[in-house]
Amino acid sequence: MTASKLQISETYQKWRKIKDQFTRYGVVAGGLGVIVAIVLIFFYLMYVVYPLFVSADAHALYQYELPEKSAGKSLYLATEEQNEVAARFTDQGKAVFFATATGKVRNIVSVVPSDAKITSFSVGTPSRGYIAYGLSNGGVIIARHKYQITYPDNKRFITPQIEFPQGEQALQIDPQGQAITHLAFRVGESGTTLVVRTLDNRVLLTNFFKEESLFSDDESFERVDVEIDVDSKDLEYILLDKEQRNLYLASRTGRLSMFNISDKESPRLIQHTELLHVGSKLTSLVFLTGELSLLAGDSTGLVSQWSAVRDMSNHISLQKLRAFKVSDYAITDIDGEQRRKGFIVVDAKGVVGVYHSTAERELLREKITSAQPELLAMSPRANVFLLQDKQGMIYIWGVENEHPEVSIKSIWQEVWYESYPKPDYIWQSSSSSNDFEPKYSLTPLVFGTLKAAFYAMMLAVPLAIMGAIYTAYFMTSSLRRVVKPSIEIMEALPTVILGFLAGLWLAPFVEENLMAVFSILCALPVAVLLFAYMWQYIPKNIRLRIGEGTEVLILVPVIILATYFAISISSPIENMMFGGSLISWFNNEWGIGYDQRNSLVVGIAMGFAVIPTVFSITEDAIFSVPKHLTVGSLALGATPWQTMTKVVLLTASPGIFSAVMIGLGRAVGETMIVLMATGNTPVMDLSIFQGMRTLSANIAVEMPEAEVDSTHYRVLFLAALVLFAFTFVFNTLAEIIRQRLREKYSSL
Amino acid sequence: MSSEPVRTHAIDMSAIAQKNQSNKGKNETSIQIQDLNLFYGEKQALHGINMEIPKKQVTAYIGPSGCGKSTLLRCINRMNDLVDIARIEGKISIEGKDIYQPGVDVAELRRHVGMVFQKPNPFPKSIYENVAYGLRIQGINDRRILDEVVEKSLRGAAIWDEVKDRLQDNALGISGGQQQRLVIARAIAIEPTILLLDEPSSALDPISSLKIEELINELKETYTIVIVTHNMQQAARVSDYTAFMYMGDLIEFGDTNTIFTNPEKKQTEDYITGRYG
Repeated sequence: MTASKLQISETYQKWRKIKDQFTRYGVVAGGLGVIVAIVLIFFYLMYVVYPLFVSADAHALYQYELPEKSAGKSLYLATEEQNEVAARFTDQGKAVFFATATGKVRNIVSVVPSDAKITSFSVGTPSRGYIAYGLSNGGVIIARHKYQITYPDNKRFITPQIEFPQGEQALQIDPQGQAITHLAFRVGESGTTLVVRTLDNRVLLTNFFKEESLFSDDESFERVDVEIDVDSKDLEYILLDKEQRNLYLASRTGRLSMFNISDKESPRLIQHTELLHVGSKLTSLVFLTGELSLLAGDSTGLVSQWSAVRDMSNHISLQKLRAFKVSDYAITDIDGEQRRKGFIVVDAKGVVGVYHSTAERELLREKITSAQPELLAMSPRANVFLLQDKQGMIYIWGVENEHPEVSIKSIWQEVWYESYPKPDYIWQSSSSSNDFEPKYSLTPLVFGTLKAAFYAMMLAVPLAIMGAIYTAYFMTSSLRRVVKPSIEIMEALPTVILGFLAGLWLAPFVEENLMAVFSILCALPVAVLLFAYMWQYIPKNIRLRIGEGTEVLILVPVIILATYFAISISSPIENMMFGGSLISWFNNEWGIGYDQRNSLVVGIAMGFAVIPTVFSITEDAIFSVPKHLTVGSLALGATPWQTMTKVVLLTASPGIFSAVMIGLGRAVGETMIVLMATGNTPVMDLSIFQGMRTLSANIAVEMPEAEVDSTHYRVLFLAALVLFAFTFVFNTLAEIIRQRLREKYSSL
Repeated sequence: MSSEPVRTHAIDMSAIAQKNQSNKGKNETSIQIQDLNLFYGEKQALHGINMEIPKKQVTAYIGPSGCGKSTLLRCINRMNDLVDIARIEGKISIEGKDIYQPGVDVAELRRHVGMVFQKPNPFPKSIYENVAYGLRIQGINDRRILDEVVEKSLRGAAIWDEVKDRLQDNALGISGGQQQRLVIARAIAIEPTILLLDEPSSALDPISSLKIEELINELKETYTIVIVTHNMQQAARVSDYTAFMYMGDLIEFGDTNTIFTNPEKKQTEDYITGRYG
């Protein structure tokens, strides 16, 4: 081998190799890093969302003999907030407080004097701790169990107490002194209402309301007594809601009468309903928290939820929202959770089930005792339940049930919410009240997202693609060098500014000048086409002076003139044809309502944001169609237009397709514009004059107010996951289709 | 003429001799170029070209790179119109009609003057649609006519047997040589009178190249063919007339045999014998 004359340094070669390796690993690491980051985001979202779909878990904590059996049989069990102290109210009128963990008696309070004979018992709104005893002489004693927390030696110490809000003396409800066999009551801010059934089958309503004197601070209680005219022979359940507005009377066979008692002096019957199938017996009837709906448990193991619903003609009726097949045996007791729309059920065989009404979910089923169960109580925080059986045992179980509100059904399907006339898709995540039923339907948000994207694409795609075709194919290169970067710079405009302009300037402008906006939308294309047609009749020397590919500049004054013309004719047209106001014409003639922040505004603003993306990619795709294809087509005698439609667009189609898809991805994920210009009402309405709420805007609006790790918080993450999946699926599909198209139409 | 002494360069003289037999007695003019000047902006690319291209003959343009032969070819179907800065003076008449006259429909002109480029440029469509394209843009969509013309054209371009079973396949899937013949089929499908071939085989392998040459020989029965080529053997093999161009000037134009065996100009001889180019 002869030595080469070229002196190639070995270190240089080595160094070159190192650089090459380094670049290769660098690129690989970067690519993997992107994939890892996306996978991590995905898994983090999954990790936050996952607990929503986990079932509840329960475990036995303690069990012991009923404390202080000598105080009588239990009528009602309850615990306080911390689950340290539990209480049982007995048929001897005693409140027995005991330690939840051990059953050791803390103290016993007599609610009813020992000389009185107890004939009935009732519980008020559970979270407020009211209970009442009905007596054989027609009197009622209302009491309240309260737990005072002190911190001696820096340790929490809970002192159970009994209070008598209406005095320790029994209230004489039945002037005839008959025994009270059934009883319901509610204590409110402005008054107290009691409804009783006496031994001789009369149903009496008594209302005490506060009367404040106008001239002094004196307060006095006024009393109204009414007898309700109803067949009460086999009346078994009396329920009164906390607003003291609706009264429900139910018999053992499930015949329920609903009364409106807003006017205490004249209770009004609303309807009679059969709650059960023929042959089954009503074994339990309680309120779900909020006291807007009833849970009826029967002897066949069915629990059905009923709610007073107002229909289109403002007529109120009781409707069965849903039913749960809990067991094959009779329902023994139901207790509602105090802060959620969940409830706990025990059947005759001692099997306890935890359910959620809105989500229609069974979260737990567990056999607790083999003896006949008697009483069931859920703690205020729904993390412990107490079960007492006929053998005198108390079982205390802990429950982990963080997110019962969410199920696939409650997120995607129509749900019949309390007090709603029919099943519906609703997003309404929070309210000031604890009794509120959260409505976590993502369907209206997905709908809103697609709707906003649809209107934006309606505006953006034709403008951007046509503009790109002209710019890439017909425009002279000198003009193109100016036009393309100017449109691309639109993309750099922060969307918050676009949103701000859309919400604060464009929306009111469109509202005031709707007719003008529509006439511009109609006039501009017509004017442009008309001008293009007339162009061929313009003398050739003028045309040549302007030059081919620059004639678009002449369009600028045409567009300005057409806009001016459209605006100036809009007002006469509106006056002549639409009675002076297009908005009210739409409303009157078509029943189409108008929202100031609507899809039209969003379509314009977000379309504006999407145009640069679509334009830029489409323009590149068309411009990079190989010259030899266009030349080949022209050489075959095709006109430029034929060449464009039959060869150029076909070859550029993968690029145009991905431009549209990327634009769509942007429109779906866009946040600030929809946040500021849509009104954020999660309605499902296709109308162009209605707003919407999108997934992304919803996350932006609600995330700051969602308590970390709450159901609401996790549902927002679920929305994020859906959005992520959306863009992921869109982009993947787009890429697959694009590859296919490219295989088919790419020119080598 | 054929009895001229053979020069000492590598030309396949037997091909020339054979061809000259068919040359006699055909002197009808198809394309007439008169005082043609072409400017790219300030730069003049063609200087006063005058030539008459005979009908149903193969005329070859030869010359070194950048001499203007492709530019001249593109003037014939006005493809230079696509170059913004190109400006033309002079006259080109086809069948006696000036094609640079105002009011000439360029698309119509190009239908009569087909062109095949150096690089095969089938459209990203099926083989069938590629050939049918020229008819479709003329508004002919009758399936029967299309079928007939496609077959006839593919047979005419000597590619029918190779593609008849996969007419619906993408044209980009066949070989370069086949693509080039397909493009020729596409060009002849619209029945032009003139075919312009701009280095049609320079991007192909020798065997494909040979097939194209055979095809040209067949096609000249029907069409007037003007071919630009870098390959002098090819010019000698396929053409009846040869024009030698240099620096935008037409140096010599005449019978291929004469040009290759007994050129009048020194420049021509130098080029042909390979002294420059």
